Amino acid sequence: MIQSVKSNGRGQQGPPDLQDLLDKLGGGGGPSGKLVVGAIVVIALIWAAMTSFYTVQPEERAVVKRFGAVIGITDPGLHFKIPFNIDQVQFVATERVLKQEFGFRTTSSEAGRASTYSAQQFEDESLMLTGDLNMIDVEWVVQYRINDPIKFLYQMREPTRTLRDISESVMRRIVGNMLGSEVLTIGRVEIQQIAGEEIQTLMDGYDAGIRISTVEMQDVVPPPAVQPAFNEVNEARQERERMINEAQKRVNQEIPNAEGGALRTVAEAEGYATERVNRAEGESARFSAVLAEYAMAPEVTRSRLYLETLDEILPTIGQVLVVQEGQLGPLPLLDVNRNSGGEQ
Amino acid sequence: MKPILIAILVIIAAAVGNFIFYTVDEAEQAIIVQFGEPIGDVVSEPGLKLKLPWQQVRYFDKRLLVWDGDVTQIPTLGREFILVDTTARWRIADPLLFLTSVRDERGARTRLDDIVDSVVRDMVSSTELEEIVRSKDWEVSAEALDDPALAERSDVNLKMQPKLGRELLEQEILNRARDSMPDLGIELDDVRIKRVNYISSVRQQVESRMIAERQSIAERFRSEGRGRSQEILGNMERDLRRIQSEAAKEAEQIRGRADAKATQIYGQAFGADPEFYSFFRTLESYRALGENSTLMLRADSDFFRYLERSQLQ
Repeated sequence: MIQSVKSNGRGQQGPPDLQDLLDKLGGGGGPSGKLVVGAIVVIALIWAAMTSFYTVQPEERAVVKRFGAVIGITDPGLHFKIPFNIDQVQFVATERVLKQEFGFRTTSSEAGRASTYSAQQFEDESLMLTGDLNMIDVEWVVQYRINDPIKFLYQMREPTRTLRDISESVMRRIVGNMLGSEVLTIGRVEIQQIAGEEIQTLMDGYDAGIRISTVEMQDVVPPPAVQPAFNEVNEARQERERMINEAQKRVNQEIPNAEGGALRTVAEAEGYATERVNRAEGESARFSAVLAEYAMAPEVTRSRLYLETLDEILPTIGQVLVVQEGQLGPLPLLDVNRNSGGEQ
Repeated sequence: MKPILIAILVIIAAAVGNFIFYTVDEAEQAIIVQFGEPIGDVVSEPGLKLKLPWQQVRYFDKRLLVWDGDVTQIPTLGREFILVDTTARWRIADPLLFLTSVRDERGARTRLDDIVDSVVRDMVSSTELEEIVRSKDWEVSAEALDDPALAERSDVNLKMQPKLGRELLEQEILNRARDSMPDLGIELDDVRIKRVNYISSVRQQVESRMIAERQSIAERFRSEGRGRSQEILGNMERDLRRIQSEAAKEAEQIRGRADAKATQIYGQAFGADPEFYSFFRTLESYRALGENSTLMLRADSDFFRYLERSQLQ
């Protein structure tokens, strides 16, 4: 604005559409000329007033420069400075924990809602080689703070981008120095720790004013195409356990049953033994008793016993055949049963 | 009249100020150029400075700058094609030389592209992939080597100790790049390999190899499961037979002892009159005859004899 006024004020000939303005300026000490100058002064004053203070938020520090040279850092609060861009202020969020995500991006993290993550299109970042020359997909987060705002601003032009590059380089070096199976299982904590230290050392080497808080491994998985095969291994491991358990279950079903059966067999044998001995004793006792009587009258007792027995058994016998010595077939038949059967 | 005079004076002062003052930012360094020729020392202290009105100021960044290489496809010594992405940090160390040799940052980047890319290409193509991926302190634990999935790998030498490894390789690239870089007023601070990946065709091969590897492990688990199951069932069969046969043995022993006891008892009792016992026992047997049995009697048997006799009477 000053520029345009200047050029037009000097050159007496200007474009016709600026004739009004020229009249007011070139016309000399009229009241309208004073008005214009007054307006310029007022605008300059307003501009000065507006650029002579600044507010530093609680999580920030402000780096103040005078004619481009840093003159100090100011704490949160309201501060004054020399206007017209003679003092310039740059705000740096030193108190906030910042984070860089690798292999994914948090796409929404509104308060009260779960964050959603997007891992697509970042395969280049997360895919790396392990020491056994397999591939692995590693996602991680680097959390850091700016601990020296002046260094952060004036040691490197792109400290954040450098932090990203260095993080990727360090993570790949560490993962490349381990076996894939180690990275997937036990290596996590170790990797986090080594990566944090190594990134810090390198950033300190650049004097970047960045302090690494943590390196956190997120998803560490095989490449997408290989994942089904990894799942298959897990399933197979389950299957192995299941087969062993099933066999064990059958053992548990059958062995106690067999043991019970064995006890039963033995008990039955014992039962038999008891019965057998008792019967022997009983029969012996009976025989001995009968024998004692028989000894007194052998002939009579013998016939009596014989006939009594036949008495008892003949009614139940089907057929009685009488065989004559010297003849070939059985002799005429005595059909006791048929007669008695008819009576019954 | 007066206000307009003041205004004009202010404007002139501003114009003159613009020509003789200049500021150098904290992040910058400057060179004064007079009629196209650099004059005097490099101004590296920030602040408000004076110059002659016809002199021009050229600013250069003082900070550490990032160079990011293109992703390049390079074959390693083992002929695998890999994609290598490198990054480097550099600064304008001598603005005067910088100005005359490469003019500006864009010029510098082009030169860096040429130099660093070719050094990286040379180094990578004369190095095994293992060297690039692993570090100097690479070691494989013995138990990891026992893992059958790794033991079956023939394409990779797991024990190969890198001569340089990733870090020293990067250092070597930096040294060579520095050596082969002419004086451009550029100081190369470091070169790092950011990413190393297989090209897509190799990647597919590696993926199918990994899949085959996993499937072989899965098969081993299944087979182990079957084997263990067979073993358990076999043991069970053995135990079952042992239990059953032991029980049978014991049962027979018990029966045997009982039979012996019974025999002894019978022997003692019946031994008193064996002939009578036979008779007595035979009669017992008759009693045990069931229905529909056929009794054959000799004609001269006792029973029949009496029967005959009674008929005769």
